[in-house]
Amino acid sequence: MSLTETVPQARRRDLRIPLAVVLIVVALAAPYIGSRYVTHSLIIALIFMLPAHGLNLLVGYTGLLSLAQAAFFGIGAYTAGLLAVNYGTPFYVNLIAAALVSGAAALPLGIPALRLRSTSFVMCTLGFVIIGQAIAKNWVSVTRGDMGLSSIPKPYFELGPLSFTVSGTTNFYYLALAVGVLATLAVWAIVRSPAGRNMVAIRENETLAESLGVPTWHYKLIVFMISAMFAGVGGCLYAHYLTVVSPLTFQMYYSTTMLIIVLGGGAGMISGTVFGSLLFVGLTEALRVAPEVRMIAYGACLLVLVFWFKQGFAPLINRFWNAIGGVK
Amino acid sequence: MNAHLPLLEIRNLSKSYGAVKAVNDVSIHIDRGEIAGLIGPNGSGKSTFFDCSTGLARPDTGTVILDGQDITGWSLNRIAREGRMLRSFQKTVTFKSLDAEENLVIAGQMFTFPSIAATFGLGKLSRSRIEGLRERARELIKMAGLWDVRHQPAGNLSGGQQKLIQFASMLMPEPKLILLDEPMAGINPKIIERVVDTILYANKSLGVSFLVIEHNIDVVTSICQRVVVLDQGSKLVEGLAHDIIQDQRVREAYLGG
Repeated sequence: MSLTETVPQARRRDLRIPLAVVLIVVALAAPYIGSRYVTHSLIIALIFMLPAHGLNLLVGYTGLLSLAQAAFFGIGAYTAGLLAVNYGTPFYVNLIAAALVSGAAALPLGIPALRLRSTSFVMCTLGFVIIGQAIAKNWVSVTRGDMGLSSIPKPYFELGPLSFTVSGTTNFYYLALAVGVLATLAVWAIVRSPAGRNMVAIRENETLAESLGVPTWHYKLIVFMISAMFAGVGGCLYAHYLTVVSPLTFQMYYSTTMLIIVLGGGAGMISGTVFGSLLFVGLTEALRVAPEVRMIAYGACLLVLVFWFKQGFAPLINRFWNAIGGVK
Repeated sequence: MNAHLPLLEIRNLSKSYGAVKAVNDVSIHIDRGEIAGLIGPNGSGKSTFFDCSTGLARPDTGTVILDGQDITGWSLNRIAREGRMLRSFQKTVTFKSLDAEENLVIAGQMFTFPSIAATFGLGKLSRSRIEGLRERARELIKMAGLWDVRHQPAGNLSGGQQKLIQFASMLMPEPKLILLDEPMAGINPKIIERVVDTILYANKSLGVSFLVIEHNIDVVTSICQRVVVLDQGSKLVEGLAHDIIQDQRVREAYLGG
């Protein structure tokens, strides 16, 4: 009897901390484990994780489906690109400026759009991407039109007497990882705050939330702006990484990719967005070397999702996490 | 303050939807500490009257005065937050994927945090405010008899239990006045008793005044002192509950439609 009792006991040991340590080590050592192309794929995944985090706050927590994320991503990319090209400002200045400009742009767009109900709101946000692209194409004196901005300098830092430039894929990976980790923590803080609870209340039942004193309109506008700020930060990394920004940065394909990350990963769960970015962006980017299977793999992945994991992959991750922690 | 004035005074409220006059020049008042009833046949404008009084809909004409302050045109959330006048809904009852405790904490948040910005805080002050809300929530959950199911998502509970959660939610912010829209509709008699007990408890011990729309006449006569009857958008009659149910006009309105 005592033997059979000890066996499940042993299996119940909490494996979460060891796994977390392994994940952290893998994340830190990734450029040295995989090829340069893998590192590149991870950078792209990290860049897209940022607008996806913002979108998750909007779609997953507040229940507002938006397709405007690519517009704010583009605004952030142009802001950072223009500052870096014209003024040679340090990376953190570009990053903050990209976040602020994108967030500010969300205000005049959000005020009329959020007055609309469900489907009309979605259509309206779709329009923002098209407007953004039109402006980027036609405001030639600033954006250089279809030529776009090119040779955007590598991110450089100026900290007191110390100044250095982040060059090379490996170093950029660490920069993207640092920004990604900070952004994930920021989302976590927002979601855990009382405001995060109000956001969920709005998603669950807006009229009820309103009747309990929650100013739902203000919250929706604030979350829309925060979500745009995350997209702007992603756009800044994108501009510095690719060193080129063109009107094609404003494209629906990016908005849908961000949406697939959120919904496929698991809306309303932070782990879902992180996992979704790795799967839907990192993996498809990695599969670019095999273009003939790339879209098939992507499609197969979406099919599996639609038929077996309607809530996205996050519930699966949570179950696994609890299982290895010995929590039933 | 203003102890001599009625707690809520609604003057000459009208609301039309197209050519239909849903509410036509209705004036009522609720005194402090009172439980008043609002009855009338289906389609008599009771719910529209509620919506216009609580900011969910805008009245065409009329004034709503709460505790001496003109709140006409205020939004639903502002009336709840600043006026401490809360309302229930017939169908919209709980945040279904959240458990009872979370439902109640949400209900209390906007009354504890001074601003929207403060709700983004995660610091010590914010945590202690939430802890305070949790304690109050647990007390109310116990009082409502929901202790055993407090960790279940509200959507898994029975209609009656969800109504009790909604009711407890409205007590979180220490309201002055609660407007209940058919609290007894579609719940079993056992829970009706419990809801009646909670209303009376809130009225006697917490000093909350009520305006109740209700079809269950037994409930109306047992808890309401004064009853207002609406018929086809207009006030038909107003008086003590026992006199009202004997009134010939009221009988005709219900039977003759």
